[in-house]
Amino acid sequence: MNSMEQQFLEAGTLMVAGMVVVFAFLSLLILFITIVLAKLAVKFPDPIAPTTNRSNKKNKKAASGEISPAIVAAISGAVSRYRQQHSETNSKK
Amino acid sequence: MESLNKLWLSTGLANFELGQVIMMLVGCGLLYLAIARNFEPLLLLPMGFGAILTNIPVAGFSEVGGFLNYVYHGGIETGIFPLVIFMGVGAMTDFGALIANPKTLLLGAAAQTGIFATLFGAIALNAVPGIEFTLKEASAIAIIGGADGPTAIFLATKLAPELLGAIAVAAYSYMALVPIIQPPIMRALTTLEERKIEMAQLRPVTKIEKVIFPLGVLMMTIFFLPAATPLVGMFCLGNLMRESGVVDRLSSTAQNELINITTILLGLGVGSKLSAEAFLNIETLGILGLGAVAFSIGTASGVLMAKLMNKFSKVPINPLIGAAGVSAVPMAARVANKVGLEANPHNFLLMHAMGPNVAGVLGSAVAAGILLALVG
Repeated sequence: MNSMEQQFLEAGTLMVAGMVVVFAFLSLLILFITIVLAKLAVKFPDPIAPTTNRSNKKNKKAASGEISPAIVAAISGAVSRYRQQHSETNSKK
Repeated sequence: MESLNKLWLSTGLANFELGQVIMMLVGCGLLYLAIARNFEPLLLLPMGFGAILTNIPVAGFSEVGGFLNYVYHGGIETGIFPLVIFMGVGAMTDFGALIANPKTLLLGAAAQTGIFATLFGAIALNAVPGIEFTLKEASAIAIIGGADGPTAIFLATKLAPELLGAIAVAAYSYMALVPIIQPPIMRALTTLEERKIEMAQLRPVTKIEKVIFPLGVLMMTIFFLPAATPLVGMFCLGNLMRESGVVDRLSSTAQNELINITTILLGLGVGSKLSAEAFLNIETLGILGLGAVAFSIGTASGVLMAKLMNKFSKVPINPLIGAAGVSAVPMAARVANKVGLEANPHNFLLMHAMGPNVAGVLGSAVAAGILLALVG
């Protein structure tokens, strides 16, 4: 019975020591992530290569004479509005 | 006549012992669980078959010079197979969710309570006549609560190789039972309102963070817990191969071919330890019971820790993700997601639960290192 008590005591010590070490180790890891890794992330952000390529392609297309339909729609919308406004002011006169 | 008699004596029928027949049925039971119930089939199928092979009379699979004997001593006793598998798991693990929300490491730590509380249970079982667990054996059994197969096998071979078969069967069976064991505990410890909590979207994680993370973990393990470096080191190697992006071939091999080959041999080797004299005793029942207790305590402590963190945190934390702290990747995270969706159909917790889930893998490796350092 005595040895069992001793075993319980050992198991208890092991439990306390084990949980303290697990928490301490993983808490240190939290500090490592929040201090070191977060700073690294700010200093060395991922390059955003794919998006710049796409915009380059669009620019190239525009430069080669092809105008995208969205731009055509925007210009024609602006022109028609300008004409409408212009005709209104003319009629008022 | 004499040659006929000799022939009869060389048959299995003439040499079968009752224990071998029972263990073959246990092997068939594992095959059933793997094939019909889809319980961790990758390991339970070779393990069940290994149990059948090792109990074949006359063939001597597990005797000196037998195939399974070589597999066991060469790969499992040396610790090679569990470590190679751990490297593969590292190559499969994405730490992004953990780096984005590092607080979830505390959930992975809390869930390890299951391991250490089970130590008490194992020692308490010594009061039952016929059961006599030493502290080493109790530690090897307790690691079942880490819900991590390779870690459990690694620690069992170091601390209590005679219990390896029962510990591996219990660890993998309970890992397969995560979707059944965890939800009732999660529901009992949380309110509907808590389960409905939606969490903020995680920040994007840069490549450099993911590359430095495994190196940082390794450094910390070297400084503070070198006993855990076999497990953590191999895990970090696999993860660095994945995240560095320069050795895609090695990373792909580690997470596919290599881990598959090793899993077959590991399963067979563990199955070879399922002999009648090692398995058919009251201690095995004790181990199976303790495994369930370990899992339940681990789940409960993870959920309670998440509840506590939710009380004090500025950003809301759904307590369900605490249950994923018991590793069992990615099953435990999926369970958290499923229970969360039941309460709130717009609540997708999977990515949030992956944080504590992979933290649990690190936590159980650290706990194994502590047990090795203090008991081994």
